Amino acid sequence: MKTALRKGLSRPVAIGLQVGSVAAILLLWFAVTAGSPEERFLSPLTLPSPGEVLAQIKSLWFDAALTRSIGWSMTRILLGFGLAAVVGIPLGILAGCLRSVEAWLRPITIFLRNIPIAALIPLTLVWFGLGESQKVFFIFIACVGFVVFDTTAAVLEVDERYVQTAWTLGAKPQHVVWKVLIPLALPAIFNSLRLLFGLAFGYIVLAELIDAKFGLGYIIQIAQRRGPREHIYLVLFVITIIAFAIDRFLFWLQKKLFPYMFAEE
Amino acid sequence: MSDGSPAKPASCPTEPTAPKNWEVKPEAVPTGAQGPVPPVVQFKNVSKEFRRGKDTFLALENVTFVVENLPDCGEFVCLLGPSGCGKSTLLRLIAGLEPHFPPSSGEVLVSGKSVVGPGADRAMVFQDYTSYPNRTVIKNVEFGLEIQGKPRAERRDIAMSWIDKVGLRGHENKYPHELSGGMKQRVAIARTLAVRPSIVLMDEPFGALDPETRYSMQELLIQLWKEMQSTVFFVTHSITEAAYLGDRVYLMNGPPGRLVEEIKLPRPEESPLEVESRADFREVVALLKSKIHSPKRTDN
Repeated sequence: MKTALRKGLSRPVAIGLQVGSVAAILLLWFAVTAGSPEERFLSPLTLPSPGEVLAQIKSLWFDAALTRSIGWSMTRILLGFGLAAVVGIPLGILAGCLRSVEAWLRPITIFLRNIPIAALIPLTLVWFGLGESQKVFFIFIACVGFVVFDTTAAVLEVDERYVQTAWTLGAKPQHVVWKVLIPLALPAIFNSLRLLFGLAFGYIVLAELIDAKFGLGYIIQIAQRRGPREHIYLVLFVITIIAFAIDRFLFWLQKKLFPYMFAEE
Repeated sequence: MSDGSPAKPASCPTEPTAPKNWEVKPEAVPTGAQGPVPPVVQFKNVSKEFRRGKDTFLALENVTFVVENLPDCGEFVCLLGPSGCGKSTLLRLIAGLEPHFPPSSGEVLVSGKSVVGPGADRAMVFQDYTSYPNRTVIKNVEFGLEIQGKPRAERRDIAMSWIDKVGLRGHENKYPHELSGGMKQRVAIARTLAVRPSIVLMDEPFGALDPETRYSMQELLIQLWKEMQSTVFFVTHSITEAAYLGDRVYLMNGPPGRLVEEIKLPRPEESPLEVESRADFREVVALLKSKIHSPKRTDN
């Protein structure tokens, strides 16, 4: 029986479909924003036309200082996420090696992974006040539970046969940790960090909507209050493009660092 | 590497004087014959029971045997039996690996001392491929030497000589995913032997290989073993494999796993492929087969 279920596509067909979906959305956008402002299906206040959005690139770049805002947002993410990694990875490795540590950390990571992210904004404002540290710790608290949990899982998922092989070759516990568990868990840890980084990128905008002096979220907030509204759309595109580019870079790095994980058997 | 004729002392009984004279000599399982040198491995009434909730599973029941320490040569002991007869349990009790170790009752002695856990004196080759995927061939072979804290240059030399011996020269910088199943097991063998274990434990190491590769691996293994003077415990459910490799075959049955009989075999000079055409070898295989499928076995 011939079926398309789970069948792979040729590259041109796949690219064609991807271009097609973008084109369809653009077409719809053009259609509902066509004509003079009075005759449109949607008013320009609700949704500006693609042309109007593009026309604001210059003001976004110069007046809203896009690059400086990107720099601020990136710094906050890197600090908050870096702190989460520095704290979370060792804790996760420890929990993956010692089940007692894992049991002890479990309620904490369950709590951290399940708190509503938006509720962290007022909480971090109470704890850290206005300013940079609030934003960095917001990202840290939002990510650290996931980092610990995923790192623990990565260590626990290392196949027992590799550990047993090490035992029969005379390994001591420290050898099993440093020469088997950590190196073999590293690809999974890296992969989870890459995915979490994408998440952190989304969170930072949330933190910057409230009391920020620069940042991508700040541009969105100002554009919503004072205009031009077109900046909101542009910033969303910018965020998507940056997030995608970073993800692809990290994926490329992952392939360079762990080539054996990507070999076709 | 020696020049093909490994020197073995005359006292070594594993070298049959007249290889044509194939004679199967069944022996009773010895019980605790203690010489001046402690036996390599001794099991004293060893049982292993697994519990899961209310269910209990008797993997090994009252197993007793002795493998004596022969001067200057190790024996090649094959553990032969159907699936679930406790072969691997027995092997892993020698290795000291959980969850099979420790035994529920009885005592496992290696060189006269009670086994307390795993160690490099009893290195093991597993059926599953256990080459570390993040390490190249040479780094895999160096693993045990790294643990021993050997300096880098010495590690490299030892590893390279074993890579040569198992026929992997030219592949030393490849990663395991670039190797075939047979080559991965060559890496595992080289890595195991590089730590110079006095006992080599092998848990169906060729079980996942195709017959052709299996033959060449058996030949390679015998060739390496003759140089090593280690005692080998080799788990298999292939009768011809046990008949070809073993100086001694422990026939097992189960569950519950029991040691049924111990059979001494002469060592053939031929390759594993050639020996299969010999009538007396086929007789040995037939004999082993009849013993394994004896009516005493209770299937349920």
